[in-house]
Amino acid sequence: MPPFAGVRVLVVEDEGAIAMLIEEMLEDLGCEIVASVARLATARDEASTAYIDLAILDVNLAGERVFPVAEILRDRGIPFLFSTGYGTSGVPGEFAGYPVLHKPFSESELLQRMTLALRHRAST
Amino acid sequence: MSNVEELPRETLAPSEYESLVSIGENALEAIPGAVYLCDREGWLVRYNSEAAELWGRRPELGVNGDRFCGSHRLFLTDGTPLAFADSPTASALSTGVVTRNQEILIQRPDGSRFVALMNIRALRDRRGVIQGAINCFQDISAQHAMAEELRRKSADLEDFFENSAVGLHIVSGEGIILRAHKAELALLGYSEEEYIGRPITEFHVDEPVIGDILNKLGSGDCLENYPARLRAKDGSIKYVSITSNGRFEDGKLFNTRCFTIDVTCVHAAEAARQESDDRLSATYEAATIGIAEADVDGRLLRVNDALCHMLGRTREQLLAMTFLDYTHPDSVEQDATLYARQVAGEMDSYVLRKRALKLDGEIVYLDIHSSSVRDASGEFRYGVRVLQDVTLAQRMENQVRESERHMRNVLEALPAAVYTTDAEGRITFYNRAAVELSGRTPQLGDLWCVTWKLFNTDGSPLPHDQCPMAVALKENRAIRGAEAIAQRPDGTRVPFNPYPTPLHDADGNLVGAINMLVDITERKQAENRQKTLIDELNHRVKNTLATVQSLAAQTARNAEDAKDGDRRFEARLLALSRAHDLLTKRHWENTPLDALAKEVLMPVFGLEPDRITVEGATIDVGTRVALNFTMTLNELAINALKYGSMSVETGTLSVSWDLQPQPNGTLLTLDWREQGGPPVARPEREGLGSRLMKRCIERDLGGQFDMTFAPEGVCCRFSFLIGA
Repeated sequence: MPPFAGVRVLVVEDEGAIAMLIEEMLEDLGCEIVASVARLATARDEASTAYIDLAILDVNLAGERVFPVAEILRDRGIPFLFSTGYGTSGVPGEFAGYPVLHKPFSESELLQRMTLALRHRAST
Repeated sequence: MSNVEELPRETLAPSEYESLVSIGENALEAIPGAVYLCDREGWLVRYNSEAAELWGRRPELGVNGDRFCGSHRLFLTDGTPLAFADSPTASALSTGVVTRNQEILIQRPDGSRFVALMNIRALRDRRGVIQGAINCFQDISAQHAMAEELRRKSADLEDFFENSAVGLHIVSGEGIILRAHKAELALLGYSEEEYIGRPITEFHVDEPVIGDILNKLGSGDCLENYPARLRAKDGSIKYVSITSNGRFEDGKLFNTRCFTIDVTCVHAAEAARQESDDRLSATYEAATIGIAEADVDGRLLRVNDALCHMLGRTREQLLAMTFLDYTHPDSVEQDATLYARQVAGEMDSYVLRKRALKLDGEIVYLDIHSSSVRDASGEFRYGVRVLQDVTLAQRMENQVRESERHMRNVLEALPAAVYTTDAEGRITFYNRAAVELSGRTPQLGDLWCVTWKLFNTDGSPLPHDQCPMAVALKENRAIRGAEAIAQRPDGTRVPFNPYPTPLHDADGNLVGAINMLVDITERKQAENRQKTLIDELNHRVKNTLATVQSLAAQTARNAEDAKDGDRRFEARLLALSRAHDLLTKRHWENTPLDALAKEVLMPVFGLEPDRITVEGATIDVGTRVALNFTMTLNELAINALKYGSMSVETGTLSVSWDLQPQPNGTLLTLDWREQGGPPVARPEREGLGSRLMKRCIERDLGGQFDMTFAPEGVCCRFSFLIGA
């Protein structure tokens, strides 16, 4: 039984190759990919409407920041984590408490951050 | 008059009185003079016509007629009224006193008066009893008046002689002083005894002078203000002016009358004036500054040597011109206007620095001090101009000014904000850059700094009196390495480095400070940019690594075998690397699409101009498009090489694209067409390459991707929006 069987995930990642990697890792973990989007506009739409348990947000989307999507998710009470090549400094203070994945990352790191994110939700 | 006394007295009978009464009036008339007779009581009994004429009346004779005198009224000579009862005649009757030559004033009925000289005698009988009196009188008014006149004139003369302010002496023909009056004695300090009776030559200082005087007078000449020197008793020498003439009797010089006027004071004053003039003149000429006198029109009346030298012109040249003639044209109007106002009395004097021309055309700078000499009524007489050649000073001043101007220009031109203050921190200068940096125009006199508000680098307010410039001035040391932030009135902030440096005079005293504020906004921005760049680079590296990680994982998972996986991974990695090379060449900025296409295809196929055609309109694409385009084209190329038209030598490949303007960018449509390869069959399942390409075009670039496996060759068409 995969650790996150049935967990519905939204992937926001602007580079196709990386998105493929994340998707495969998530599938390995038993997750269901509800949507995998590359652009901010579509990401906002999905974040606002999709029925999901978790979102993985790439910070930089073709030069745009993903934080408007994070706000929507926070407001909806949906857990999320950031994936970034910038390191923690790329995340503003208001989202400082959210887990951050530093690219490149391993499947075990993803699992750990997802666990944190979901626990974070459970505790709030 | 003695005629009465001479009457015969030896006749014993009748008595004198009786005889006189009896001789009758005719006898009295014979007497040459006025005569009258009174009886014992004083009643007039006889008078002659001359008496009546003098009285101006004819008195009543006998008892109850006129008594004592036949005149209208009597006065003493001093004008006191004299009653007839007190008259000499009355006295003669009462006391027998004889009156001789007494002068009595008689007034006639018509008011006229005359002085009468009276001789009165009592007439006695043989026993000596007074029987009457006889008065003989005569009018001596004329003599009296003459004597009075003489006396008065004499007194006047004496007074004039004695009290005249002018010295006066009389010298005999032999040169002996006969007489000298008080003023002359006082002048020389001698007593009469010491002076009068001495030869005049003794008192003259200059022998030839007195010789000449005496000669002239002896030959009948008059002396008029003849200058001479006399020796006073105290040894001092008196300068005198002598006016004299000789008095001749029988053609011989009898004496000389000399008026001596003491002109010692005048002489002294004259000498003093002369000396003063000489000295002034000498001073005038010896002065190293120019001095000139000018008339109303500025014509030069007098100039000294210094001025001639100063202007390189001769005295004659200068005296033939006005001071405006040698004035530089630029200074003429100012000097002329000022001088006219001075002449008109609107101003007493003025000072002016002007330029003047020497004869040789050289320009000199002169400081003019102009003033006026006026007469007692204030009327302008002439202008006095004192001139100083300040050419050297002016030249130095010009140099200093020029140097200062140069310095200011340099400071002004400096791209850094520069300002100066005095020792108290008051701003004395600032340049344009200072205005730009502070965002305001400082006021001269503002304290410490040109900026509006100051902050420390940590954002805390920095009061102006604690700013680095204030510290530099207060502690008299240069400050280096400081950094602060200036806020402009519009709210914008400028980070800057100040370089406050105290300024000292030649003696080392603090006289102010200069500060340079170097705007480090750009450096700060560059630092930020660099940080952003590093972040960006980090991001790309990390993303690229993640991409490589993904490619490796995907390739391995989808490979037919380890060797195939290895080869494919290598090809993908190299494609990715080439894309990065291209982007690096272009500094990660826009890249031309055709160059990109050739760069991807060349390494895969080699140089095959006959088999491969690449054509399309020129367009630049961004990094994101370039990366995805590269990856896509690479996947297509690898497939073509392994399974498609490029796997055999007869196959061809055509890559062409078309651009279509869209409202939100340019739509690129690319056709990949393989021909002449082995027959194509649709793969059983979608490979990693297809999935990657779709990801790149559809997902990442939001475009459309369509691939057909036609038997004659693979055709792929994809399109996406550039610049969206």
